[in-house]
Amino acid sequence: MTLILVAAMILLPWAGALFVWAAGNERPRLQNGLAVTFSVAAGICGLAMLPRAGAEVVLNFPVGGAFGDFTFVADGLGVFLAAVATVIGSLAVIFSVDYMKGEHQLGRYYAMVLFFIGAMVGLVLTSNLLLMFFFWEITALCSYALISFNNDDPKAVAGGMKALIITQLGGIGLLVGALVLYAYTGSYDIQALIANPAIVPAGVLAWMAFGGLAAAAAKSAQFPFQTWLPDAMEAPTPISALIHAATMVNAGVYLLARFYPAFHGVPGWTTAVTLVGLVTALLAALMALVANDLKRVLAYSTVSQLGYMVYAVGVGGIYASQFHLLSHSVFKALLFLSAGAVIHAVGTRDMRQMGGLGKQMPLTRAVFIIGSLALAGIPILNGFWSKELVLEAGLMHGPMWAYVGMLIGAGLTAFYTYRMVTMVFYGSPRSALHGHDAGPAMRVALIPLAFGALTTWLLAGPFSRLLSVESLPMHHIEPENTWVILEEVFSLPTLIALLVVALGLVCWWQRERLAGLGQALKGIGWAAEHSFGFEAVNRAIVGGTQKLGEALRVTQTGWLNWNVFGILAGLVVVLIVVILGGR
Amino acid sequence: MNLSVATLVFVAVLGLLGVGLYALLATRNLIKVIVALQILVKGAMLALVLAGRLRNAVQEAQSLALTVIVADTIVAVIGLTLAVQIRQRLGTLDIKALTSLRR
Amino acid sequence: MLIWHGLVVAGIVVCAILAIRAQRLLTSALWLAGCSALVAVLLYLMGAAELAVIELSVGAGLVTVLFVFAINIAGEDAASLPSPLPRPLSWVVVLVAVGLLAWRVLPELLPLPWLRVTDSSTFSDWVWGNRMVDLLLQVVLIFAGVLGMMGLLSERKKAGEHEEESA
Repeated sequence: MTLILVAAMILLPWAGALFVWAAGNERPRLQNGLAVTFSVAAGICGLAMLPRAGAEVVLNFPVGGAFGDFTFVADGLGVFLAAVATVIGSLAVIFSVDYMKGEHQLGRYYAMVLFFIGAMVGLVLTSNLLLMFFFWEITALCSYALISFNNDDPKAVAGGMKALIITQLGGIGLLVGALVLYAYTGSYDIQALIANPAIVPAGVLAWMAFGGLAAAAAKSAQFPFQTWLPDAMEAPTPISALIHAATMVNAGVYLLARFYPAFHGVPGWTTAVTLVGLVTALLAALMALVANDLKRVLAYSTVSQLGYMVYAVGVGGIYASQFHLLSHSVFKALLFLSAGAVIHAVGTRDMRQMGGLGKQMPLTRAVFIIGSLALAGIPILNGFWSKELVLEAGLMHGPMWAYVGMLIGAGLTAFYTYRMVTMVFYGSPRSALHGHDAGPAMRVALIPLAFGALTTWLLAGPFSRLLSVESLPMHHIEPENTWVILEEVFSLPTLIALLVVALGLVCWWQRERLAGLGQALKGIGWAAEHSFGFEAVNRAIVGGTQKLGEALRVTQTGWLNWNVFGILAGLVVVLIVVILGGR
Repeated sequence: MNLSVATLVFVAVLGLLGVGLYALLATRNLIKVIVALQILVKGAMLALVLAGRLRNAVQEAQSLALTVIVADTIVAVIGLTLAVQIRQRLGTLDIKALTSLRR
Repeated sequence: MLIWHGLVVAGIVVCAILAIRAQRLLTSALWLAGCSALVAVLLYLMGAAELAVIELSVGAGLVTVLFVFAINIAGEDAASLPSPLPRPLSWVVVLVAVGLLAWRVLPELLPLPWLRVTDSSTFSDWVWGNRMVDLLLQVVLIFAGVLGMMGLLSERKKAGEHEEESA
């Protein structure tokens, strides 16, 4: 049964992609129906898989000596992320029925979304590092193709290229890790490495650990690669919700959490992870403060919240990090989708032109505020509990300076969230924009997510059982009752954190009186608007790669004969190496 | 010199590989390119069966070589269809004419 | 025994060379068919009888028919144009590659005796029992080939319609 479910979660979306493509763009209704059917079926499989998590191999596909066995293990971590990918994926597809109405080339859109969902499930369930790399690259390619979906818009194409090149850097790290693992152990099996990291020499393990951190930082848009995610906001909004908030960007955090038992012994690694999380959370929150594009604010806040998860991994709070990942997936998908409803209604993303939209779109306002409160960490929404658990873990096991930094980040989060909500929904309309409320398909997607933002914290107990020793033997997470976990949150530090959050809210309220302080901090604001200079680093990487590609074009003469000559020359070199090596 | 059957077959392998590779370097006719590929692949297939024969695993080698034949035939089918199309579109089989994707 | 093998091997190489040197494409395809048939004979002599039959029917038969069809439709392209590579360079690189290959393999190959086949498993055991994945792959390959061919042929129809419209 588990075998069928695992195979179905990967193959159903992929089969759906083929069918949608074959249906043809002349029949958009059929395409909508097919995409929704296949993604919802995968979502149901994802939910049905949750109680069946276990540490044993469910699917083993021998493919010969060069690749190792393609194995899939449905343990708690993988099953949980697979469920997130399929469920939020199906909601995003349902939302797209309204959002993408009237678009040309729906087939390309749905095929890529479904292809992505299947690959994401594969990425989290496989225990073969090489296969993980393949899935990792498929998700990067789908993300690129969907960011550049409007491929006659140069900004969209540039954003897609940037995302592709930066995440490729991470992919190289993962590939090197896989090859090193193979070179030292003769297999690509992740479980063996996690169970006993000593099978790889310490020095090599350190390289793998920091390479993994770089790969995760590139994929999850962490410091210093944090600038590709805001540029990826050129994608259609359901894509931003699915790929750039709820699933793909979590792959980096997943990677760190998955390998934590293997890497946490490497000297300096946990400190580096903590530092990356802290710096990212603070910088991204500052950038969210000054951005005026609604989706960019949400993108910066995603980067910042991913920073919280990375920080939690760094201080050893795997459970807190994954629980925050769950909360964040739900409330950020909700925020993005309701932002999509706003953008679809008014036709702009600039918050300076919005204002007073609340009266015209009451349902959207209601769900957006639920999401915002969760993001800001207001009790009793899911974001509050998980963020407090992250901070709790940081206080207990992490350094004090990092904890203080994260507290400041929580205050900033509340501040920019409040700013965003008032700019969009309250005040007097700043231009003659007329909105209409979300359509029926949009409602079907928004309401379950809003319900989830209100209630997923009640799952704390079952969630800890899901990640417990039975399915993740090396992560040492104790299964606990929901109330026991939540009781931990009722303590003095939580009060302090809530005070900081409240302070953030008050600051926005009293912003006129604090104008003098604002003037004093203008330099920081200016730096934040310019991404603290890291935009230049990222641009240099992207520009360098593209220049290299241009330069290498000389080698593409278009003569088949020269190509064959190149292949033959390569063969001669390989033969010489083999002959010299054989002596 | 110990001249066995294995050596003779290996000479055939080398001959087929050499002729096929040389043809790929020297010809500009698309159908000739497909002929050269056929010759090259026959060499590879012979080498596979030879290796199997020497390790006393002829049947295993045969079952692998079957895939080679299938793949090779598909290549010929697609290649020839492509050649016919190109001839009808561009009026030539010269591979140099196939540069419309180049900038 | 050795003489038969020697004759067949010589025939294979000669056929291959003639297939490449032939000026007319049709001649080239026929020499290729001869080469294929001789490879089938060699396979039979080596004890790979089943594969020899397949090679004879598919390699020498089906593929030759395809070649003749294609050349009939496409027609001969008489002009033999020069390759961009200087001819000596082609010779050198091919000879170096083949020579290195021989140098690497021959020392290990020469001492091996040509034993009688004692492998008691059968061809069908291997194909149907152990290599199901390969069979699956072959089905996919054939499917893809048919799809590709149909796609390319329908392309011509579209182009033809287009020409009619413009005419």
